[in-house]
Amino acid sequence: MRPMADEAKTVSRREFLTGIGGAGMGAVIGGLAVNALWVDDRVFAVEASGGYLLVDTMKCAGCETCMLACSLVHLGRSNPSLSRIQMVKNPFGQFPSDTDQVQCRQCPYPSCVDACPVGAMHVDPANAFVRRVDAAKCIGCERCVNACPFTPSRVQWNFEDRTAQKCDLCADAPYWNEDGGPAGKQACVESCPMKAITFTTAIPMQNDAGYDVNLRNAHWATLALPTD
Amino acid sequence: MATGGYVGKILYVNLTDKTTETIETSKYEKFAGGHGIASALFFDLVADKQIGAYDPDNLVTVMSSPFSGTLTPSASGRTEMTGIGSYSYPVEWYTRSNFGGRFGGMMKFAGWDGICIQGASDTPVWINVVNDKVTFEDASALWGLYTDETQEEIWKTVSGSPDVRDWYHLSNTRDGGRTTQKPAVLCIGPAGENLNRNATCQHDAGNAAGQGGFGGVWGSKNLKAISVIGSGSVPIADPAALMDLRLKMQKESAYNVDAPELEAPFPGFNLYGIMTKQPAYGGLLWAPNQPARPQGCQGCFKCCQVTFESGIGNGDICTESLYFMAATDFNEQMKAAFLLDQVGINAYDVFNHAYLYGLYKQGILGPGMQIESNLPWEKYGTYEFMDAFTKCVAEGTDIGADLKEGIRRATEKWGRWDIDSSSGALKYPYWGYMEHYEPRVEVEWAYGTIFGERDTNEHSFNWDLHWMPLVTAAIGAPPLIPAKDMVEIWAEKSGIGDPTAFDYSAEGVYSDGMVKVTAWQRHHTRFWIQSLLMCDWAWPNFVNYTADKNGLSPEIEMGLYSAVTGNPLTWEESIQIGRRIWNLDRAIWVLQGRHRDQEVFANYVYDTVTEAAHQMPMLENGEWVYGEGIGRNIDRAKFEDFKGRFYAYEGWDSSTGWPLRATLEELDLADVANELEGHGLLGASA
Repeated sequence: MRPMADEAKTVSRREFLTGIGGAGMGAVIGGLAVNALWVDDRVFAVEASGGYLLVDTMKCAGCETCMLACSLVHLGRSNPSLSRIQMVKNPFGQFPSDTDQVQCRQCPYPSCVDACPVGAMHVDPANAFVRRVDAAKCIGCERCVNACPFTPSRVQWNFEDRTAQKCDLCADAPYWNEDGGPAGKQACVESCPMKAITFTTAIPMQNDAGYDVNLRNAHWATLALPTD
Repeated sequence: MATGGYVGKILYVNLTDKTTETIETSKYEKFAGGHGIASALFFDLVADKQIGAYDPDNLVTVMSSPFSGTLTPSASGRTEMTGIGSYSYPVEWYTRSNFGGRFGGMMKFAGWDGICIQGASDTPVWINVVNDKVTFEDASALWGLYTDETQEEIWKTVSGSPDVRDWYHLSNTRDGGRTTQKPAVLCIGPAGENLNRNATCQHDAGNAAGQGGFGGVWGSKNLKAISVIGSGSVPIADPAALMDLRLKMQKESAYNVDAPELEAPFPGFNLYGIMTKQPAYGGLLWAPNQPARPQGCQGCFKCCQVTFESGIGNGDICTESLYFMAATDFNEQMKAAFLLDQVGINAYDVFNHAYLYGLYKQGILGPGMQIESNLPWEKYGTYEFMDAFTKCVAEGTDIGADLKEGIRRATEKWGRWDIDSSSGALKYPYWGYMEHYEPRVEVEWAYGTIFGERDTNEHSFNWDLHWMPLVTAAIGAPPLIPAKDMVEIWAEKSGIGDPTAFDYSAEGVYSDGMVKVTAWQRHHTRFWIQSLLMCDWAWPNFVNYTADKNGLSPEIEMGLYSAVTGNPLTWEESIQIGRRIWNLDRAIWVLQGRHRDQEVFANYVYDTVTEAAHQMPMLENGEWVYGEGIGRNIDRAKFEDFKGRFYAYEGWDSSTGWPLRATLEELDLADVANELEGHGLLGASA
C-alpha cells in the first residue's frame, strides 16, 4: 500500500513515533503483507524485514541454550554476554512473568539503523532486509545500542571485538555447517530444546510487552503444562 | 595441546587473611576438571588429611569443567563441590557434592575454572567475584537470612534485583564487559550457619549441594555466600562440530515436544519421563496442578525442573519435592520443599520424619518421654507440623539439637541406632547416609557407596536397568526393551563386554562380573559425571527408547570432548582417567584412616530380607528377566569375599583395601604412593 505523496497526510517524525509507541509499526500493521510504508520525506522509513524470530514466552525453559548457541555460531566462542538473543529470569519468580525472552524484533521502523551515523547498522537487501551491523564500518559510538526502544537493548556492544552487533537471523554465522539467514536456518530456532523459538516471514502481532505467540500444541498438555 | 574449554585460572581464597592467589589450571590438566582437579588440589593443599570438617585448614572447592558454560548438551549446568564433609559417620570423609543451575558456567565467564577456599574468616563474609576482581564483603546483614533472601539481597547489591532486566556494566569502561544475567550465587542458610551436619549450599531455586555436609563447613568458615558475575568467553576448539553434535543429540536422542516419538500414555505421568526425557518430569510422582513452565539448567536439552505460577518450590524435584507427600494441598507440599531450600537442609537426612513419628506413637519420643520433644506431634501430617519440624532442625531447638548432627548421630545418642538399623525401621545402610536404592538388590549402588564415602547418587544404570522395568510393570505394560537386549547394549557400550556382569540375581550380585560393573561405574562417573560434569540424569546415553534402541554414547562423548577441548580422547582413556581420580580419592580416605573392616553395611542389609519388588535384570534358569528381587538379603561372608576380589581387581591390598604402589604409579600418582608410604599406609600385596 503506497499512498501517493499528494494524498498522504503529512506526519512529522515526532508525531509518528509518539503515535505508534515503542512497538513500532508492528503494532499497526502486524500480520499484513506490507513491505514498505511511504510517509513524509522527513520521516525515515525502510523496507520491512523478511524474517522475524517468534519466541513463545510460556514455552521457554530458561536454559540459556539459545544464548550459548548464538555466540558459538557467530563468534566461535561461548558467551551469553555476546549473544544476540537474551533470556532473563528471576529464579524465584512466578510463571509466566518470571522469565523474559529478549530477541530483536527486526522493527519495521528500525531506530538502530536510523541512529547509526555511518551506515554500519543497515538494512541488508541481500538478506531479506534483515537489520544488521557491518562491523568494518562501526565506529563504536553505541548510538544504536541506545536507540533501541526496548529494554534491554536488542543491540549488544561486543566489548571483546569492539563492534556493535545484533541479531542478523544468522545471515553471518560462520561457525556452523548450515546456511543461515532469512532464507536459511537460525541457531536459536534449531537448538532450543523446547522448540520455543520459530522463524516467520510475516510481521508478528505485537505490543510493547512482546509478541503474541503460542507455539504449544496438544503434546504440551500431555506434560500437564498449559496450552493457553 | 589445544586448550579449548578451560579458561586457565583457578581462584585460591585464604579466608583467614582475606587474600587470593591464582592457580594455573594447566598444572592440573591430567585430572580433567571438576572433581578430578578438586581432589588433586585437596591432596596438594591440605597437609594433614586427618583434620576434621570444621578445621580451618579444610579446603572446599567449587569446580567447573571444560564443558561448563558451553552448548555441550546437559553438561554445562552442573558444578562440583568437594572437601572434608561433616555428614558421614563414623569418619568425616573427604567427599563431594554437585548441584545444577548456572554457577559453573558463570565462574568460567568470569575467567575462573574453579574456586577453592581455605582458612576461616573471623566475621561473616561473602565473596564477591566480578570478572577478575575479587572482594570480601561483610555478610553480617545477610547472616540469618534464608537462602532465597540471601540471593535476592546479593543480586540487588551487585547488579540490581531480577525485576531490573537490562544490560549491566561490570566495570565503568566501555569494554569492561556487560551482561543481562544476574550473579550466580551459592550460599548457606541458617542450618549451615548453625554448623548443622545436614546443611546444604544452595544456588538459584531448587539447586543444592545437598549431601556431604558442606553447609556446615561453610558455616564454620563464616562464609555465607559466593557471588560470581562474568562477561567473558569460553574458548571452543571446533565450534561448528559442537553445534553439529548438539543438534544431533536433539534430533536423535531427545524429546520432540511438538511431535514426540515416544509419549507418556496419559497426561501428567511424569514417571514415564525417565524414558521419554520429556521436560518438567522431575517431580516423578507429581505433575504441576497449576500453570507452569519447564525449567532447565544452563545448556540442558531435557529441562526436568518446573517453575510454578505460585512461585513456590521452583526447581524442586525428586526427593526434596517428596518431603511432604502427605500434603493434601500441592502448594503446601512445595512450600515444605521450598522451606528445606530456604533453611538449607539436606532432604535425605530429614526425609524419615515418619520414623520419628513412629517413635512418638510408641511412646519413646514426645513430651516427657525418653526422647524429649514438644513439637506438635499430634498434628503430624499437616503443614504446621512440617514447618515446626524443619525449623527446629535448622535452629537446633527441641529434638533439632540432636537432629542437627544428622540422624545417624542422633539415633546413636538416643540409643535407637542398633535396634532400629538392625530391624530396618531406620534404613541408613552406609556411612550414615539414607538408603537410596535397595542395597540388597541394586548392589552396584550399595557397593559403590561402601567402597566410597557417601551415597553415590549415580543413576548410570539405574534409569535403564531399574526404573524402566519398574515403570512399565506399574502400568501393566511390557518393558520397552527386554532384559536380554538391555544388558547386551550396556555390556557392549560400556566396554565391560560380558552381559552376565549385569546379573542382579541372588548369586549374580557377588560375581566377578559385578566386581567389574561396580568398578566401571566408579571410574566412569569420576570422569564423565563428576569431572566433566555431564548431568547424572542425562548421561551416559547408551539407550534410546524410541525406534532405534541405541543411544549416542559413547561416541558422542568423544566427539563433544574433542570439539570443545581440541584434544582426542578414547573411551578407554577416559575410563582410565576416572580410575586415576577414584584412586586419588581412595588414597585420601586411607590417609583419613580407611580400612576394609569399616566397609560393612548396617545390620538390616544382612539380617532382613526384601519385601517389595526392586526390578533389575536377572538370569533366572538361564533366561534374562527383570526379576523382582523379593526375599533378598546380602550374605555377610559372600560380601566379604566379594570385597577381597573387588580390592584385587582395583589393585588394592586385599587385607586392608589400601592401594598398591604399582597401581598408583600406573595411574601417574607416584607422589600419592609416597605420601601413603610415609604414613605406613601403602598397600602391601594384592
